[in-house]
Amino acid sequence: MKLRIIAAVVLAAALATAASTATGGTKRATADKVTVWVMTDAQNGWPGAISAANAAFAKQHPGVDVDIQYQSWNSLLAKFDAALAANDAPDVIELGNTMTTKYMAAGAFSAIKAKNYPNSSTWLSGLKASCTYGGKLYCVPYYAGARAVIYRKDLYGSVGVKSPPTTWGQFLAVNAKLKKKYGKNRNFSAFYQPGQNWYAAMSFVADYGGQIAVQKGGKWKGTLDTPQAIKALTVYKSMVRKYSRASKTQDEAHPFPSIPFAKGRAGAFLGNGWEWPYVFDKTGGGAPKSFAKRMGAYPLPSHIKGRYTPTFLGGSILGIPISAKHKSLGADWIKGFTGTAAERQIAKAGNIPNTTKLANVNKSNPALAPFANAAKYSWFIPTALNWANVENAKVLKNMCTAILTNKKSVRAATQSASKQITKILNAKP
Amino acid sequence: MSSRFPAPAAAAAEPALPARPRQRFRLSRIGAGATPYVLLLPATLVIAAVLGYPLYFMVRLSFERYGLFQLIRHAGVWVGTQNYASIFHDSTFWHVVLRTLAFTAVAVSLTMVIGTLIALLMAQLGRGMSLLLNVGLIFVWATPVVVAIDIWYWMVDFEFGVVNWLLTYLHLGDFNHHDWFANAWTGWGIITLLVVWGAIPFVAITVYAALTQVPRELVEAASIDGAHAWRVFRDVMVPVLKPIFIILTSLSIIWDFQVFNQIWILRDEQPSPEYWSMAVYAYHTSFQTSEYGLGSAIAIVMVAIMLVVSFVYIRQMVKIGEAA
Repeated sequence: MKLRIIAAVVLAAALATAASTATGGTKRATADKVTVWVMTDAQNGWPGAISAANAAFAKQHPGVDVDIQYQSWNSLLAKFDAALAANDAPDVIELGNTMTTKYMAAGAFSAIKAKNYPNSSTWLSGLKASCTYGGKLYCVPYYAGARAVIYRKDLYGSVGVKSPPTTWGQFLAVNAKLKKKYGKNRNFSAFYQPGQNWYAAMSFVADYGGQIAVQKGGKWKGTLDTPQAIKALTVYKSMVRKYSRASKTQDEAHPFPSIPFAKGRAGAFLGNGWEWPYVFDKTGGGAPKSFAKRMGAYPLPSHIKGRYTPTFLGGSILGIPISAKHKSLGADWIKGFTGTAAERQIAKAGNIPNTTKLANVNKSNPALAPFANAAKYSWFIPTALNWANVENAKVLKNMCTAILTNKKSVRAATQSASKQITKILNAKP
Repeated sequence: MSSRFPAPAAAAAEPALPARPRQRFRLSRIGAGATPYVLLLPATLVIAAVLGYPLYFMVRLSFERYGLFQLIRHAGVWVGTQNYASIFHDSTFWHVVLRTLAFTAVAVSLTMVIGTLIALLMAQLGRGMSLLLNVGLIFVWATPVVVAIDIWYWMVDFEFGVVNWLLTYLHLGDFNHHDWFANAWTGWGIITLLVVWGAIPFVAITVYAALTQVPRELVEAASIDGAHAWRVFRDVMVPVLKPIFIILTSLSIIWDFQVFNQIWILRDEQPSPEYWSMAVYAYHTSFQTSEYGLGSAIAIVMVAIMLVVSFVYIRQMVKIGEAA
């Protein structure tokens, strides 16, 4: 009756307000805070640098919350796109240096001035180049990484190899010896090489003079089906199939090679500098500190005498998205995190710091010096606008799997990949 | 106060409340009939906001060019039916549709058959075993999806998985470093197994509840007359259970057609093309090639296919409602 109707209307109104405040709860007023997206690499590899940056920031802005949200590489860009669409972008975001061109071209970052940031006059030129678009600077170099072979000194010694290989022939020889001696253990790989680690495969392509793609007259063309690249990948395929028992369908983060390495399942693997300490990390290999005595590192020799196989000069940059809510706070946090103190910690963790001033930090560290050495010969991805889409489409990863599992011949796989790369790189952004 | 609200169709035919002698105001009569709708209003508004707006936006997106450039500026470019033309001319799209349909057919069949068998089993078990089976089913049902998938991920892991170790240990073959996902058939087998495993509890428990509606006397009469189990099931139980089967099958089709989590997590958030279902393909097109217009078009095609199945489901629900 009347009472019932009134009760119903009041109940409806109450539920409606409850529903609207539930969805409106996120708009609660928040105190000033800075949101930072960095990769789990920092969480695993150099947490000290993060704390140093936070401490420096706290001194400058007492009472301001620093919300560090660690991201994983596979989901980073999707989350970033979603955040940009929702106007909910973080104040600082780490991007890989192969992804930045696409985002700079689309206007995802606000332009910044180099002189406002520490050590900008001595930034690594390769990293600075990934941050520059149309003559303007859009982000800050964070760190770079080179890969070298991390190996079991004791196992090499047990097959009579007292010093690390310096030629391709010696490299193959030691692997053959290891396979002969320890190969009966079904879990052991002389050289643990995850199938979808395309950085390694492309390093061979670079070593034989091939390229992923070239630009002619404004149009890109995938060039992995050239004779040099095919030769390189054939050599790579033969080495991996002979000496690696790693999965051919997973990449170098699933699992991190340092994990099976710590468990004695690998004679060597190709890794970044920070993967050395990751062998001992409890979320990584979990090896005891004494294990370090049995480890060593050397740059992967080239098939050309006296050189190294070029390493991918990967790296990360830190940018401030254009729709960030606390741009100046973000800038201050970046200054702390890329300042000399934090960069020294990042370098000590096995990386190449963003400034040449700290280039010699690891010189006297026999474990990490080879990684800096390896950077002498390096290659980089084609600086195309749409390169990020090639990586997102997993073109090279799938090509590696097809080659290594023998599903496609090297020629067929490279032709198919080159066609895809040509299509993606020339698509209108 | 009466707590039974009749089905909407019936409400129009008669007032919600019996007419009481003191009721003279027409207003109260109309008001009383409107009570259920007024109470439904908040939920409808929330659903309209949470589902309706995104649905409208997605339909609009499917007619626009919406790449990263447009996303940052929050403004798409109208291209009419170009997105739909692109996907219908794309052979990958058709492969993905066929693959998703095939997977759905297999997964739903397995879910319904095994779920029904388990329900029939539960009806035969004694109290203790029945309780044990029920608890097992509830545990499976209650495990959060992502947690369950993570557990399966580690079980079938290439390097450290326990399934490989166990199969080798039991001398069922050499499964050392067996990559279940190197071959798309075994890979989809694992995915199907995981999806079916997660879907069985709901079907089993629902069918078990429905089995209590089957008149005992009919079943006993049929067995006395010499009918064996299969005939009893087919001729006595199925007719009674038919509405439930239709509902469960429709729901299963709708859920299995949209499978995403299992594939995504089992393949390290980067499934290769042979593992693409429609949901994965839509997500990949949107977020990994930054083509949100194309991705929306794919999603709209999914919705259209689901609407056809939903029609069957809703019609069955209405039939039950009318019969009650």
